Amino acid sequence: MRRRTRLTAALVAASMPLAAAGCSSSSSASSGPVTLSYALWDQTQQAGYQACADAFTAQNPDIKIKITQAAWASYWQNLTTEMTAGDAPDVFVDHVAYYPQFVADNQILDISSDVASSAVNLNQYQPGLANLWVDDGKRYGLPMDWDTEGLVYNAKSLKAAGIAPSTLSSLTWNPTDGGTFEKLIAELTVDDNGNNGLSPKFDKNHVKVYGFVPTYDDGATGQNGWGDLAAENGFSFLPQPFSTSYDYSSPALAQTIQWMASLAQKGYAPPYSKSSSLGVQTVLDSGQGAMTILGSFDVSSYTGSTAKQSYGFAELPIGPDGRKTFINDTSDAIWAGTSHPQQAWKWVEFLASPACQDLVATKGVVFPAITEASKKAETARIAEGQDITPFVQEAQASGGTLIYPISQHEDQINTEVQSQLDAVWLGQSGAAAALTTAQSAVSGYMSQP
Amino acid sequence: MADSENTAASAPRVRRRLSPGRTLAWAVLIAALVITLFPFYWMIRTALTPAADLPTDTTALWPHHATLINFERVLGLTTTAQDLAAGGSGATLDFLVSLRNSIIYAGLIAFAQTFFCAMAGYAFARLRFRGRDLLFGVFVMALMVPPIFTLLPNFALVKSLGWIGSFEGLVAPSVLMTPFAVFFLRQFFLSIPAEVEEAAALDGAGRLTQFWRVVLPMSRGPLFTIGLITAVWAWKDYLWPLLVGPDQNTRVLTAALGIFLQQSPDAAPDWTGLMAAAVLAVIPVALLLVFFGRRLVESLNFTGIK
Amino acid sequence: MAEISGPVGGVALAARNRPRGTSAGAARRRRGSGARRGDGRVAWVFLAPALLGFALFYLYPTVRGAYFSFTDYDLLSPPHSVGAANYRALWHDPLYWNALRVTLQYVVINIVSQTVLALGLAWLMFRLTRSVLIRVLLLVPWLVPNVAVGLLWLWLLDANLGFVNHLITAAGGSSQGFFTTPALAMPAIAMINTWQYTGYTALLLYAGMLQIPSSLYESARLDGAGEIRTFTRITLPLMRPILALVLIVSVIGSFQIFDTISITPTHGGPVNATRAIYYYIYQLAFTQFRMGYACAVAMTLVLILGVLTFLQMRLLRASRSDLA
Repeated sequence: MRRRTRLTAALVAASMPLAAAGCSSSSSASSGPVTLSYALWDQTQQAGYQACADAFTAQNPDIKIKITQAAWASYWQNLTTEMTAGDAPDVFVDHVAYYPQFVADNQILDISSDVASSAVNLNQYQPGLANLWVDDGKRYGLPMDWDTEGLVYNAKSLKAAGIAPSTLSSLTWNPTDGGTFEKLIAELTVDDNGNNGLSPKFDKNHVKVYGFVPTYDDGATGQNGWGDLAAENGFSFLPQPFSTSYDYSSPALAQTIQWMASLAQKGYAPPYSKSSSLGVQTVLDSGQGAMTILGSFDVSSYTGSTAKQSYGFAELPIGPDGRKTFINDTSDAIWAGTSHPQQAWKWVEFLASPACQDLVATKGVVFPAITEASKKAETARIAEGQDITPFVQEAQASGGTLIYPISQHEDQINTEVQSQLDAVWLGQSGAAAALTTAQSAVSGYMSQP
Repeated sequence: MADSENTAASAPRVRRRLSPGRTLAWAVLIAALVITLFPFYWMIRTALTPAADLPTDTTALWPHHATLINFERVLGLTTTAQDLAAGGSGATLDFLVSLRNSIIYAGLIAFAQTFFCAMAGYAFARLRFRGRDLLFGVFVMALMVPPIFTLLPNFALVKSLGWIGSFEGLVAPSVLMTPFAVFFLRQFFLSIPAEVEEAAALDGAGRLTQFWRVVLPMSRGPLFTIGLITAVWAWKDYLWPLLVGPDQNTRVLTAALGIFLQQSPDAAPDWTGLMAAAVLAVIPVALLLVFFGRRLVESLNFTGIK
Repeated sequence: MAEISGPVGGVALAARNRPRGTSAGAARRRRGSGARRGDGRVAWVFLAPALLGFALFYLYPTVRGAYFSFTDYDLLSPPHSVGAANYRALWHDPLYWNALRVTLQYVVINIVSQTVLALGLAWLMFRLTRSVLIRVLLLVPWLVPNVAVGLLWLWLLDANLGFVNHLITAAGGSSQGFFTTPALAMPAIAMINTWQYTGYTALLLYAGMLQIPSSLYESARLDGAGEIRTFTRITLPLMRPILALVLIVSVIGSFQIFDTISITPTHGGPVNATRAIYYYIYQLAFTQFRMGYACAVAMTLVLILGVLTFLQMRLLRASRSDLA
């Protein structure tokens, strides 16, 4: 009995430091070959970053980069599970909405001193991006790429409806009657008998082509649809980053959500319960949907030789408060538990430098954050047949962009708001009621430490 | 065991006319078999469908353009460009390596655990010592502890021993014992008459010898049963191997499948690739059934009472 | 049914292995030789591995988990005690009660459908045909990892392209979004698990049926009893112990449903309809870093399972086999 207790006690003692220790940043000045693990979610970008990794290893032969990918839907859960297990990647692609929670949980490193000593030129990035990553005087990332939202439409459907593409740059929207945007959606909706949504003979129970395919599982910010429109309706999530007072019960948001839910009721959009697991793009590719809102990071999958239909792109419609789009930013974060913080910083520095971002630009998938590289990307993308001018123009329009709400408890808020919106999409609840419930839950989370 | 089967077998086997009742019964049984097996057929069918055809070719019983590309890319036999074009994300399954790992994992645990639990079960059944029944009761109470509870502390322990990413770490929590195996084997050992052991004792055999030379050889049936059930459980284990052994050299098949699912293209799940991966994951089971099916099924009949 | 198939098979078979003679009788027989007075020392040799495993991987984590349940612990900084705050919080947590409710819904649908179907299948295998091939085929789903089963059914039940919806629309109905409709999501998951475990359960029950002496069937046949009469009057009552055992152990395993839910795209949705207790605990610990609270919820699960196990013991004692 005594023998066993001693052994058990020894093992208890051995594992205590693990429980007690927060971040185990053993910064041994390790020489010798090192392999860093780097995680990202978008496999279309993987080729670009692999090119960066190869270039980096050519310059730093002792450091190899191993890139892993997990789809967005599993990326964050994967990451937090790995952090919990003490086994997270050394560097990972971080998102503006998720990083505050990592900061609060001491999971990512403050790189402000490294940035200062390496004299990284913060002005080389698109205006406004670099500051997104500063919290309480400390810096947690350097901008990696940016994106905006816009419309993608089936060019053939548009032509068949007799609409000129040039009219799309001046679409209007409001939550009451949907403006010319809803009119366009109705015109693009075609039922089995060939009647479009505006026709009195339109049969909303037998729709062949939906005019608009919403993204229903869009999290707590609705980046791919309702979030942008709500902002155009005067809604703002937070007064400023890191504030704790969300405003989900705002009528401006409720109106927007209610409008979006009404599309399915009118037969212009597929109902939530029929969402295919294959995603919005498949609906468009199979010709069952004519239009949706997408991020500029998705444009490359709609163009090129493997495209299933011929698509055109346009800016978002203009709402009561003008035209607004999320401008999103990602960065590269260093996990606090990495055993190679110096090498990790070298890799992050490289990723944020023109050397890497120029390489990424040539692949024509995303817009790198460095202004020069971004211009190169525009050229490359246009050369590949991607009409990304609407996205670029939106980014440049003054007052036309809004940033993600940055706060704590992103994961809980995401789950809660998505749940409540599910009820609205399913027709089980009105938007105002659902959002009020969401707001009280969110306030509860924000009042937690 | 064989006796009860045969005696019970003789009675209802009287050949009756094909009454409506019997026809109905057969229809139900065949329906059950179809429901059991059709999904696997559909899995294979989908795996043979090119991804581009999925939205349109949904209901035909055989794909219009059957192809092996999905298997090729899941096994890593295509280039990344080909993979992306065929609807994948560049991810592969590392089938043979994960299969090997799964076999090692399940095999190690099945053998070791059965052996150690047999020893413990024997001790609880036959040996006399203070607090025996109390200790056994405590063991059984461990049955009620939900694995999620022990997951994290076990992980912390394995990590502090430096066993993350090694087979030692993978098998650690299960290789020594599980409560039900101890329970099951103790019940069995209680049921065998003690005369044989007593005879051996009179010949001068100590407890260990009795166990090793006399009892164990007699217990092949239940030992095989418990080993089998343990092996199947370990074969299917998902969360623990995923946490402790995500790297290639210790990744088991279930974890590989889970990781492959996570590595789907960002836009939509790679169904044809997933089904191809699932087919590969089922093949070992199918082979097992072909070679050991009868043994497997009959071991579940085991009553263990002599 | 049991996400952990071990306990079902193990304890089920253990029940059938219940000693015929009493252990007291055996002990009396054993007390003959003086050399066997106390096995204390050699018992250590036999027990050492299992005891080590028990202490390290069951006792220690349980104690630690219980301790964490009274703390606020995010796994990254040392835990600090908060008394019973976690337990108070879960009492007021709608997601907690939701988790219990949807878990209960799952358990009821899964266990009832599985047991009924398994009984029927076992009876068919017992009376109609003793074919080994059929039994092997029925066992296939049980042997397939839950991850693969979940993926397969996710695809079969897809709202637009799934084969099940194809059958439904061909029969005149409208296609269902199984995983996006709150009322259907959990029942769908329950039936997936029924599909996976019915064959296995049927084989266990079949083995129980083999224990019934054929003489009883002979006399029933001579009395002119039909199939249904024979089943309800002879087989079912005599199977009470094995049935009770299989049932209750499956319930305990059923409570721990996790793998299938973790694969569905809604991660516990829609509208929390599939956020079962196990999955909720996992999310609390691994995505929200709320280990202390997660342990408190897990403790309540231990309590619930304890009550169920206690009921199991009671029911088992109450249904002593009429054959013994």
